[in-house]
Amino acid sequence: MTTMIQTANRSRMNLWRLEWLRLTRTPRALTLGAVFVFFGLLEPAMSRYQSQIFRHIGNGLRISFPAATPAQGISSYASEISSIGLIVVVVLAAGALSFDSHHGLATFLRTRAGNMWQLLAPRAVVCAAAAALAYTAGMLAAWGQTSLLIGAPAAGGVLAGMLCGAVYLAFAVAVTALAASIVRSTLATAGISLAVLLLLPVAGTVRAVSDWLPSTLASAPASLVSGAHQLSHYGPAFAVTAVAIAAALLIATLRLRAREI
Amino acid sequence: MHPGIYGPATSSGFNLPSNALVALLPVLILVVALDAYCLVDLVRAKSARGAPKIVWAIIILLVSAPIGAILYLFLGRNRGGRQDVRAPGPVPAPPQPARAPSGALAPGSALAPGSALAAGSALAPDSALVPETTAGAGAAPRQPAVTTRALTKDYGGAGLFDVGLLVPEGSVYGLVGLNGAGKTTLLSLLAGTRHPTRGTVTMTVERNRVAVCPDVPEFDGWLTVFEVVDLAGSLVAPGAGGGAVAAALRTAGLADSAGRRVAGLSRGMIQRLGLACALVGDPELLLLDEPTSALDPAGRAEMLGLVAAMRGRRTVIFSSHILADVQRVADRVGILRDGRLLYQGPTRELIDTYLRPSWLVRLAGETAPVAAAMTGERWTTKVETISADTIRVDAISVEAGEHGIPAVIASCGARQVSCEPAAADLESAFLALTGAEPLASARAGTGAGAGTQASLIGVP
Repeated sequence: MTTMIQTANRSRMNLWRLEWLRLTRTPRALTLGAVFVFFGLLEPAMSRYQSQIFRHIGNGLRISFPAATPAQGISSYASEISSIGLIVVVVLAAGALSFDSHHGLATFLRTRAGNMWQLLAPRAVVCAAAAALAYTAGMLAAWGQTSLLIGAPAAGGVLAGMLCGAVYLAFAVAVTALAASIVRSTLATAGISLAVLLLLPVAGTVRAVSDWLPSTLASAPASLVSGAHQLSHYGPAFAVTAVAIAAALLIATLRLRAREI
Repeated sequence: MHPGIYGPATSSGFNLPSNALVALLPVLILVVALDAYCLVDLVRAKSARGAPKIVWAIIILLVSAPIGAILYLFLGRNRGGRQDVRAPGPVPAPPQPARAPSGALAPGSALAPGSALAAGSALAPDSALVPETTAGAGAAPRQPAVTTRALTKDYGGAGLFDVGLLVPEGSVYGLVGLNGAGKTTLLSLLAGTRHPTRGTVTMTVERNRVAVCPDVPEFDGWLTVFEVVDLAGSLVAPGAGGGAVAAALRTAGLADSAGRRVAGLSRGMIQRLGLACALVGDPELLLLDEPTSALDPAGRAEMLGLVAAMRGRRTVIFSSHILADVQRVADRVGILRDGRLLYQGPTRELIDTYLRPSWLVRLAGETAPVAAAMTGERWTTKVETISADTIRVDAISVEAGEHGIPAVIASCGARQVSCEPAAADLESAFLALTGAEPLASARAGTGAGAGTQASLIGVP
């Protein structure tokens, strides 16, 4: 009974813990980890055995692929994650950031929080951190599989690729926060965010701006592992991404503060 | 030759070398673990969403792994279907009061165990249910806790217009009106979740001492009841600690549900949880939007008792379209129609103002002589026999009836069981105010009515 009283009387909740519980008590953390690690384990193997796989499903049709390289193992992971992983991150972030989609919940939070940044910061930071962790875990899995099946990729390139991918996912979360300040529903938030993030690489076809776009970071791991580029090559993209993240969060905070519920 | 350490795979079909299979083992383990997790979760759950549990089991097992498991996690998982083992246990009941509360509600009122009313409140049964007639009219004027001046929220012709609210400190203020009258808009403007088109809101209490409870409270379903109230407390009163949470849960009658997940609560319990979240910061001003809308009769009575018990300690503004609720607990009332404040003042005064000069007189013997005598009086407009022992008497004014009825009964030597005003409630006042014009004759009787009404009721 004493333990029960002590437990019941212990105050533990705050907005940061709320986000931690959102990750761990819902399938969010599990989904993030499973998707990223799954593709981290699978993609290098797919690269290594793509000839056999196509032969098996092609009913005797023979397609010759060049021998897989360590860079391919990593780049195939990065490529897959830049679409499927991005969708998962955006959907999960939209669920956390679109708190105005429920009037009762919005009233509960807005009438108690001191300011809007107090509400937004834990959601954005925890989402971005979880996405970055999942990306890193997936990359480590891909690294291990590539080393085992194809050959060891350059460690420096892999680590730099992790950094690029993690920063890009943080940018994706910031874009989602901005979308949540424009529309209310979770579905619309995710839709707008994905539209922006998936169409951004199209702008990258313009050579003049391609090196400056945040989407460049999504494909950076392949170039970094293959040695085509050094991390310093992505300096402009890092700078633009950092400014874009800060601007998106600032605008989102101001818009959410002005919004009526 | 591949640069990999295991060399090429065998070429016949899909025969991978054993070392490659070892490399793929983590993928397989991950998929199997996910499927196993989902199956265990499904078995532990009371039910699943969208389809029976057996169907979800088949989907998890037969749909290409791990797609079936992922489908279950997103679409079929019932988050509220089990007890939370990590959440704190029930909040201990408070120590029993030294004296038995005279104000405890009568047996059968179905109070939740551990609630403040069950534990003892200072209310007498009637004081919780009958508005204080002196609170607004005769008592010394109190400082206003909330004042609005020409408050307007224009939604293109609809909304709220030129509302001048005056809510005295420590009062229970009832906002009544039909759907769309502007009650929620007014409360939202007071809460600060909407911005007025023009006009001002002045509060004597600090913004962080204002608590709001919406008509349909919503919380994250995967939190426990304790955690939700704890979160509310940490935001508005960081230093309050878990004791304040436990006290709020007891007051709202949720002490025994502290460890339950929100997703498993009924609508009524969610409403109680909303109240607990509002109370945990010990607010000076409480804004309640339709606090009884989702409650059963017992829960409604308890909620109204809680609201009534706050009178004097904190200011409460609550909206309702259930006029009986407002009449029971509000000492002041504001009536909204089409976004405009039609009336504002003491509840008793409103009822008296729009009281129809009509009484139901119940006698212990023959009614015919009394009815005949009443018909002959100049101050009566209509005398009607309702039943064997009851007559209805309509008079030209409240004052005339209040003086005349006892006199006629006495002159006839009849024995009176009761005499009560017909439809002397907030509903009739509301209808008179918002629909038909109040009777001119009724206005003539205002003033005396409040003082002499009691003498008409239950005169032997």
